[in-house]
Amino acid sequence: MTRLLSRVDGWDLLLVVLLTATVTLGALLTPNFLSAFNLSQAASGAAEKGLLVLPMVLLIIAREIDLSVASVLALASVILGVLVQGGVPLPFAIPIVIVAGGALGALNGALVTAIGLPSLVVTLGTMALFRGLGYILLGAASINAFPDALTNFGVDDVPGTRIPLVIVPFLVLAPVFAIALQLTPVGKRIYAIGGNPSAALYSGIAVARVKFSLFVVSGMVSAIAGVVYTARLSNARANNALGMELDVITIALLGGVSVWGGKGKLTGVMLALLLIATIRNLLGLNQVGGDAQGTVIGLLLIVSLLIGNAAEFLAFALKSSEAKAKMGG
Amino acid sequence: MSSFRVILLSTALGMSILSVPAFADDCASGPVTVGFLPKLDTDPYFKVATGGAEDAAKEIGGKVVEVAPSQATAEAQIEFINNLVSQKVGVIAIAGNDANAVAPALKRAAKEGVKVISFDSDVAADARSVFVNQAKGDSLAEMMLQSMHDLIGGEGEFAILSSTPTATNQNAWIDFMKNVMAKDSKYSKMKLVQIAYGEESEQVNQQQALALVQAFPNLKGIIIPAGIGLPAAARALDQAGLIGKVKLTGLAPATLMKKYIVAGQAQDIWWNVTDLGYLTYFAAQEVAGCKVSGKEGDAFKAGRLGDYKVGAKGEIVLGPAKIVTPQNVEEFKF
Repeated sequence: MTRLLSRVDGWDLLLVVLLTATVTLGALLTPNFLSAFNLSQAASGAAEKGLLVLPMVLLIIAREIDLSVASVLALASVILGVLVQGGVPLPFAIPIVIVAGGALGALNGALVTAIGLPSLVVTLGTMALFRGLGYILLGAASINAFPDALTNFGVDDVPGTRIPLVIVPFLVLAPVFAIALQLTPVGKRIYAIGGNPSAALYSGIAVARVKFSLFVVSGMVSAIAGVVYTARLSNARANNALGMELDVITIALLGGVSVWGGKGKLTGVMLALLLIATIRNLLGLNQVGGDAQGTVIGLLLIVSLLIGNAAEFLAFALKSSEAKAKMGG
Repeated sequence: MSSFRVILLSTALGMSILSVPAFADDCASGPVTVGFLPKLDTDPYFKVATGGAEDAAKEIGGKVVEVAPSQATAEAQIEFINNLVSQKVGVIAIAGNDANAVAPALKRAAKEGVKVISFDSDVAADARSVFVNQAKGDSLAEMMLQSMHDLIGGEGEFAILSSTPTATNQNAWIDFMKNVMAKDSKYSKMKLVQIAYGEESEQVNQQQALALVQAFPNLKGIIIPAGIGLPAAARALDQAGLIGKVKLTGLAPATLMKKYIVAGQAQDIWWNVTDLGYLTYFAAQEVAGCKVSGKEGDAFKAGRLGDYKVGAKGEIVLGPAKIVTPQNVEEFKF
């Protein structure tokens, strides 16, 4: 019994059950939920959140956080808009934007690792700073004229399918992040840093370097999300993706990543991403507006944390009673 | 292992959406379901408009479904556009948060066979068939100026307290007012002393209104072409005991200004928001039945409101707005 419990991740199991229940209920009670159009659009709506959550999970596991992701997204979108408006062709503009995102991430990383400030405070500051820079560059205006290549990427499907193109960067990067985290030495180091930073440092892990790199990666992926967002909405403006960092952190935590670091897997997070996207979609299909949707997601987070804790407590109790029985026998 | 599961999941997601899109572009023979998509779910303005649409639905059949985002952004609206398409509504009637950003999603909706019209705030013209406009922009500016003229007896200093320095509509109105004042001798004794900005915030509007009164001791009136600003400024001046000495006019829900309008301290330019929703519903059903396509000159009858014609650029104008005075304030339910 305990063997089985320890092999199957309880949290993932809980999410799978919730997801299956939601999809089944949706399929039975909501007409057109399983239509190709609906699933395709629900997927494209999650394109940026899926991207942003990847580096966020790694950072939270390493006991850091990046609250500036949505602001980097917005600033990247503004920079892309300004470059395109200035006549820079896309094959140059997009790499510039991604490098700029990396630079913004490097600023976060340097403040955290070189000066030793807490990332919660640093990125709270840069969250306002980066979006502010967007407003300085573009004011409250927006840029809407983009080359067809970009806007087509925003609305078209992978040829011959109904998989939206905007979800492709996520589909490519997600396995890369999962493999890096679960199967490589870098991943092991990230868990070690989050599990016990001092022990990690004394066992020879370059803690500062790993953390700095994570912030740079976070900046670059956020910039990619900025390009995707700009393409999907065909607009660049400074208030793009306002508040998206909170959705992203919610997905990470619902996915079983521990706020205390050292614990969590991308599989759970992907399940959480699917679960939240499905629930929001179903609520929307049943004419439940935005604020009420937020309430449901908030409740879901709290209830699943409670269930998760109860399950862990039960597993622990079971283990200790078996151990007692063994000692008695 | 887990990365393998991720790939599996992604593939599963991919497989489920591997199918061919269905196109439909037929004309409805009877009343259809109209999806109303306002800018924001907490805005009472749109609640009233939807009420008007429901009245219309009772008269001619069909159904209104309303969904609304909790943020006034294009991103939030796009999810609801997709939701409405999935629900297979006949027509989407949208008040756009960002004219161009919602356009791709609306065009995609059209590809799926859903007709699109806009109301209150237009979207890109190629993404909708008609736009139901509450009033011509120029006429609103002209009426605000006329109203200020009447309030202060055509003579003296006045200021404008606008929304933000970049607001497109407001800037166009201000330019229009300046032009009219320069040309029309009726306004020759009126002097525009300052343009301030309330930044769509009650607090800033209150501060700015009081600051204007202090900065210009001879100030006789303020034009406030912003729905949040006018009632906020009225309350601030009321508390300071200055309302009446300084007269106010502008754009705001008439009910919020009623007290001051009745007392002769303020006027207001407003339109019937219920009628806006009512007309939008009629226009939507006409578009669904292919009786109106958005071409200039297309005509239809909108129930109790009478006959309407599509103007240039697919615009249907509800009618002239009204200057709200103590005589007609009771007409306005919002």
